[in-house]
Amino acid sequence: MIAFVTVGSTTFDPLVEAAVSDEFLEALLDKGFKRLIVQRGRSDLKLKGIPESGNSVTLHRRGIDIELWKYKPSLRTEMEMSNLVISHAGSGTIIEALRLHKPLIVVPNPTLLDDHQQELAQALDGLGYLKTSTASDLARTLSTFDTEKIVTFPPIDGSRFARLVDEEVGYQ
Amino acid sequence: MLVLLIVITVLVALRIYTILPDSRSRPSRVRKKTKTDKCSIAVFLGSGGHTAEALTLVSALDFQRYTPRTYVVSEGDILSTRKAAELEKSKCCDKAEGRYRVLVVPRARRVHQHLLTTPPTALLSLLSSIYHVVIEPLMFKKTVFADLLLLNGPGTCVVLCIAVYANKFFGLPTPRIIYVESFARVKRLSLSGRLLKPFVDRFIVQWPELLQPGGREEYHGWLV
Repeated sequence: MIAFVTVGSTTFDPLVEAAVSDEFLEALLDKGFKRLIVQRGRSDLKLKGIPESGNSVTLHRRGIDIELWKYKPSLRTEMEMSNLVISHAGSGTIIEALRLHKPLIVVPNPTLLDDHQQELAQALDGLGYLKTSTASDLARTLSTFDTEKIVTFPPIDGSRFARLVDEEVGYQ
Repeated sequence: MLVLLIVITVLVALRIYTILPDSRSRPSRVRKKTKTDKCSIAVFLGSGGHTAEALTLVSALDFQRYTPRTYVVSEGDILSTRKAAELEKSKCCDKAEGRYRVLVVPRARRVHQHLLTTPPTALLSLLSSIYHVVIEPLMFKKTVFADLLLLNGPGTCVVLCIAVYANKFFGLPTPRIIYVESFARVKRLSLSGRLLKPFVDRFIVQWPELLQPGGREEYHGWLV
């Protein structure tokens, strides 16, 4: 099984650090994960024991194959092949992961001033579509995450918007 | 001189008041269309999540009916242009067929741009929008900019709305404007949403928490 961690185009070092922490890697192994992909964004964080070599780094730690890279134009492939997505609270990423029906843990970045993304993550958590966590709680959130209990995200119903627009411009 | 200035200001304010949408949101002055009529549409792609949501909304529409389509993108936003082309291609329309076009306007304000330097860039953005929305259709094309304008933020979409109001001000044909607040806005409207709410024909939110008693907001469930 593959887990995918993404911070999008933001800088969110506490999440990146938590994702490669021993505690989290052990929680992954416990859940049967063998591979971890981390999209670390603009971070220039120096991680202990991880070489700084360009865009992409691979290593093996605590029984998990880890692949770290900074950025790719589309994260679609990684999302599709993953069995778990752990993401910053970007609404685009949240919608994309939920539409693909991936178990999703969202870690809002507490240093962002505008907290409307956090509100979205919490509202969706309240409805049972995803789990929110803090970076320091990530390992524990994963250990207690029961993916059977996730509520299935509804598919897009385009007819509602189509009807509204038809009515507004004068079609009967 | 001062009296003249005051008179003009009052007249302009009165004119703007008369062209505001009705306080209740139902459309009142729209001409009925038959099934075979076409409706041209313009949509602003505000990059990132805004673009994704806007294109999801557009993709719900009947492309045979809502044609031609204009995608308005900010200068340098190559990704939005590419995503619009992808949508058009998936709906089977090539640009060569003239079913759609991409208009590029200067950004009103870049991310992290200093507030003091915003007025000149916003003005440039406004002039460009007025050219595309008011002058070009009137002078060179003898047609409307679009019958429907779809907005969902951020910044530059406010400028497009102002350009539409320039048309309204002079009694020229104007697009209906539908504003759809982002799915990411759960408890508080975005700045563009708050600015545009009194001016657009329909104001749609995607979380019931945003509805105000007696307000213009409408909620029809999640749309993206």
